Amino acid sequence: MTTRFTINGRAVSVDADEDSALLWAIRDDIGLTGTKFGCGIGMCGACTVHVGGRATRSCITPLAAVEGADITTIEGLDPAGAHPVQKAWRALQVPQCGYCQPGQIMQVAAMLKDFPAPTDADIDAVMAGSLCRCMTYVRIRAAIKEAAAAMTKGTAKAKGAAA
Amino acid sequence: MLKRILIGIAAVLAVGLVGFGIFAWRSAIAPIQPPPASAFAPELVARGEILASAGYCATCHTAKGGQAYAGGYPMETPFGTIYSTNITPDPETGIGAWPEAAFRRAMHEGVARDGSHLFPAFPFDHFTKLSDADISALYAFFMTRKPVVAPARDNGVPFPLNIRALQAGWKLLFFKPGRFQPQAAKSAEWNRGAYLAEGLSHCGACHTPRNMLGAERRPLVYAGALIDNWVAPPLNAGNPSPVPWDRDELIAYLQSGVSHYHGTAVGPMAPVVRGLQRLPGSDINALAVYFSDRDGIEQRQGIAAPAVQQALATSSVGSGLTYDPAARLYTAACASCHYNGADAVNPLRPELALNSAVSLGDPTNLIQVILHGVGADDGVPGVVMPAFSRFSDADIARIAAYLRATRTRKGPWLDLERKVAQVRAHGPGQE
Amino acid sequence: MSRPIAASSKAGGAGPAALLSRRNFLALSAGAGISFGFARIVDAAMDPAVPGGVPAAPHGGLIEPNLWFGIDHDGIVTVNIIRAEMGQHVGTALARILADELEADWSKVRIVHVDTDPKWGLMVTGGSWSVWQTFPLFSRAGAAGRIALIEGGARLLGVAPSACAARNGAVVAGGRSIGFGEIARRGGLTRTFTPEELEKLPIKPVKDRRLIGRPTEAVDIAAKIDGTARYGIDARVPNMVHARPLLPPTRNGSKVVSIDDGDARKVKGYIRSIALDDPSDTVPGWVMVIAETFQAALKASRHVKVRWTPGPGHGVSEKQIQDRGAELAASAEGGVDLNVADDDSTPEFDWAAATTLERIYTTATVLHFQLEPVNALAFEKDGMFEIHTGNQWQSLILPTLAKALDRPEASIVMRTYMLGGGFGRRLNGDYAVPAALAAKALGRPVKMVLTREDDVRFDSVRSPSVQRLRMAFDGSGQIQAMEHHACAGWPTQVMAGALLAKGLRGGQYDPFAIAGADHWYDVGRQRVRAIPNDLANSSFRPGWLRSVGPGWTNWALESFMDEAALQARVDPVAFRLKLLTGKGRNAGTAPSSVGGALRQAEVVRRAAARAGWGQPLPPDTGLGLATSFGQERDMPTWVACAARVRVERAKGKVIVEKLTIVTDAGTIVDPDGALAQTQGAALWGLSMALHEGTEFVNGEVRDLNLDTYMPLRIGDVPAMDISFVDSAEAPVGLGEPATTVVAPAIGNAIFRAVGVRLRHIPITPEAVREGLAIAARS
Ligand code: FES
Ligand code: FES
Repeated sequence: MTTRFTINGRAVSVDADEDSALLWAIRDDIGLTGTKFGCGIGMCGACTVHVGGRATRSCITPLAAVEGADITTIEGLDPAGAHPVQKAWRALQVPQCGYCQPGQIMQVAAMLKDFPAPTDADIDAVMAGSLCRCMTYVRIRAAIKEAAAAMTKGTAKAKGAAA
Repeated sequence: MLKRILIGIAAVLAVGLVGFGIFAWRSAIAPIQPPPASAFAPELVARGEILASAGYCATCHTAKGGQAYAGGYPMETPFGTIYSTNITPDPETGIGAWPEAAFRRAMHEGVARDGSHLFPAFPFDHFTKLSDADISALYAFFMTRKPVVAPARDNGVPFPLNIRALQAGWKLLFFKPGRFQPQAAKSAEWNRGAYLAEGLSHCGACHTPRNMLGAERRPLVYAGALIDNWVAPPLNAGNPSPVPWDRDELIAYLQSGVSHYHGTAVGPMAPVVRGLQRLPGSDINALAVYFSDRDGIEQRQGIAAPAVQQALATSSVGSGLTYDPAARLYTAACASCHYNGADAVNPLRPELALNSAVSLGDPTNLIQVILHGVGADDGVPGVVMPAFSRFSDADIARIAAYLRATRTRKGPWLDLERKVAQVRAHGPGQE
Repeated sequence: MSRPIAASSKAGGAGPAALLSRRNFLALSAGAGISFGFARIVDAAMDPAVPGGVPAAPHGGLIEPNLWFGIDHDGIVTVNIIRAEMGQHVGTALARILADELEADWSKVRIVHVDTDPKWGLMVTGGSWSVWQTFPLFSRAGAAGRIALIEGGARLLGVAPSACAARNGAVVAGGRSIGFGEIARRGGLTRTFTPEELEKLPIKPVKDRRLIGRPTEAVDIAAKIDGTARYGIDARVPNMVHARPLLPPTRNGSKVVSIDDGDARKVKGYIRSIALDDPSDTVPGWVMVIAETFQAALKASRHVKVRWTPGPGHGVSEKQIQDRGAELAASAEGGVDLNVADDDSTPEFDWAAATTLERIYTTATVLHFQLEPVNALAFEKDGMFEIHTGNQWQSLILPTLAKALDRPEASIVMRTYMLGGGFGRRLNGDYAVPAALAAKALGRPVKMVLTREDDVRFDSVRSPSVQRLRMAFDGSGQIQAMEHHACAGWPTQVMAGALLAKGLRGGQYDPFAIAGADHWYDVGRQRVRAIPNDLANSSFRPGWLRSVGPGWTNWALESFMDEAALQARVDPVAFRLKLLTGKGRNAGTAPSSVGGALRQAEVVRRAAARAGWGQPLPPDTGLGLATSFGQERDMPTWVACAARVRVERAKGKVIVEKLTIVTDAGTIVDPDGALAQTQGAALWGLSMALHEGTEFVNGEVRDLNLDTYMPLRIGDVPAMDISFVDSAEAPVGLGEPATTVVAPAIGNAIFRAVGVRLRHIPITPEAVREGLAIAARS
């Protein structure tokens, strides 16, 4: 059966079983391999994408569930790979093997919409689903705070300019 | 169960066989040539469309992957599977040959054009309350749909329940025909809400428990019921949500599929909300007035704020350093979406401590949602919850038990793992 | 001591780095201006800095002053990296060593991770060896290039070489300069070096270093944050099919009895299922389910019914393995004694001593759980068999692949992608074999991906271990003798038998499985005995897991040192410092272990001071210390860790509040990378101390995925204070040493907090509660 949705602003249709996972449609059918496969059961976050702007584990999201949805992957987060979260990630040299990082970044980018100035408790809870086997957690936490600060400043500036 | 059903049937049969034939008999209404679409005023059709939507006729009259209103949707009842019928204006297999009087009789009395009795799976016990004007509008809407040839499917109802005439006995026992009667003591808004809820939107069909013959138990109206392997929660003061359903909550929920403190509309409720969304704001408001009254909002003033505080205090339980495997499982799987900060509940992060799925006596809804997730067109439009069906029964039972223990003050659910296996075996249910 | 590198290059005695340079350091062949043969490698190799990993073509041809780098006409310096990138930013560190000597402009330096080729010599990435081994080699490669460029530049500028210097990608003489690219373009690079000349080339003094030790952005970072980095799982070629294996019930010796794929044939895209015939016996009993897409292979595999006869290890339990280990460690027979005595004689343990101490320590089975499940793409093309995957030890698996495919090793090439985590799992390239066999059987490219559960079942886990330690004291409390008997599965015995080390009395042992027990403390007469756990070796395939043996030996050793200090009634830090005297065999030798135990004493002192050793702490809170020399005596990385731990008595919950870690790794090439590696390694240690660990049940590990296997997550991370000793000594390894100090530091801290001594990792709340209950009773 055919499932239609948009991905990184592009309309696509995927012909596959509706119970097959969004992750493999993204990786194999659409060919965007930045989204990773880690556990396949929703416990590592490597496959995190945005569906309707919310961080979503694509490995356990059935294709049928995203009919008509708007999906963003790491490749589409920012055209130049320079989303404030990515910038902070780069400045703090967060990745080690890097395999978990697209998922981490997508999770953080979504989190900062809900928690523009996340506390450590917020980070502990929201980021608990994103495993980093290289254990880059110290830098992840620091980079989240740096990105949050940059984004808040950005909004403040934009507001100031508008006022 | 079967034994009790048979006794019931015997009771039905015993209801004065004398004269039963006469009583049960309905005349056929002569067929007509399907009128052209131009025979109906466009405003009438438009109004009918909204009403059809608010009665979510399409939900039951459209099979999965099938054409709209062409029927064939299976409804599982304790008495066997009943398939809905074709209500497009095809003269042979649909209602194209039905004059409006036949349509009205079906709605008001549960009798088909040919005089046969309809199964009460068709909620004529609610539609009987509809005004003639609304029925005209619905008729206009359906008669202007594209006709689809779709013969009725044989129902899986066993003998003798499949004898249509027996339905008359059922009606005699349980069916009170008659239009909606407003309650003078209540406001116009309340009465409008009651009209919609009790009539067109037939809320009680799911939310009121049924007796063993499948009739709603009037004294228990809106007391909650199990339907299609989901729990339709109580819509009265028995609703277990920590925060009462007030008007704002109801309006948000019915209008957008997501409320601040009660989560999103999922499972069989998802299409209901999609249908109700078409109603004008005044009607949604009327429904909210009606149900907040049903929920006993007057008597439950002042409990919302402490409940929210309490929920927020538990929102971070399980995250941070812990060695409890259940807490670690819950946090890694659920907290990234469901955790709320200390300050406020974000409706897009449904707060599980406030969600009725966690506080209901029956864990079915929680298990359903964990196992099967929520699609983009249910709940918050465009947003999904993934399906944790790759988790073992034990994993899901652990999460459910953990939430119950840490997010509510209710007793533990028993036999959870088996319950998960049951819900899994049954599947997500249909919409 | 025989070491893997020495063994494989068949020249025992010399240090590995020297061997590598003699063997691999090829001088410029006469007249080589444009590269030949190299272009193919560049086409194939991976550049981690560019999307998709495809290196840019050299501009105007590439000049190769030697095997390790090339310069094109734009002056772009491309450094060839034979190590795998798995998070250590190894290419950046190595390229900076070469570029520093070369005086290259860093902004014009690129790296490529090369495909396998005999000319590269031994290709292995592990043991934290990369920087240590490559430093002398790349320094000289860079120096040679610099000399050649200066000579060429001087000629082109018409001045004497002595009047020129190289700086920032150009040769300068007075006010004039000529870029490296121009020198290359104008044929200025003609100088050749003999291997002997190369080995004598002087290396820059430390004060002239411009890149080494300075912060930089690793070249692989950008692609790792925008989704363009390419890992093995992202490999694809046209016309490939997908495979999901069905794994037999035992790792070894299973045989397929029957395959019924009747139901699978209804799955759209399903092709067929093949029982692999594996002459290398790497994957006995494997069945590959092949389909047009991975999803189809996955779906079909659920409908393929296979019957097996299982091999050895069927039904084995963790307890049986541990019991066997305890039995072997207790027995006087078996195992191999290491040569740890100065005079090459190991005297008997003197049980006539005034007091003795004997303790048993155990560790549980641990999974690698590298986040990218193992996978491989294999196909035959133009007479070559290509394997595309992420791998840490290509030189180990190539001969196995040759045997499995029945073709010469020279006709197999491996392309190494980014690794979504190595941690030693990908030292063992066994996963390349089934993909290759399936591709051969089908005559089509086959991409095999293991599901997470498959990956865990196929993991070469860290073996459970049992260790028995003894110490004898004389009447005045002086240590007279010490014994360390360590029994575990031996990865090297199972997977790379040629690399076993020679012990006393002709015995051979797995150096990786005992390293760490041969410590730098002066303990009088010392005995270290390595014992293979035969039941472990036959039941599963023990693996090398981040730091390997020291992961368990140091748990035992450093816990035991605290117990010994208690027995001697000496403060544990003072106790250690007294034993780290740097005398005799513990004096160390240049270049790598110069300073010996005195350097270890220094990190112990610093860590204790930074952590506030001796200062009062709140109730139920303790500071515990442990130290390590990393993995191997001839490449010691000196580490000490102080853990501040609070114990919640009621729940038995161990809260690690802070880890203070001091490391002396000699010269630090990439400071930020060194910090990152130490952070990661320390947290791995913490994870294995408190959160990980599984067990064998019925011949297989119990926890197959993250729903029950629960490694450290972000909320479990304590405060960390990590520092390095400023040093100009030879650089050593950093990827692993910190993993080995955290668990014993925590164990020691728990004891100092609440008086409970725990001798098994992972430490669980139940074990703490049990310990508290026992302590309360006595
Ligand atoms: S791969 Fe989706 S959560 Fe792990
Ligand atoms: S960077 Fe390797 S798993 Fe996170």
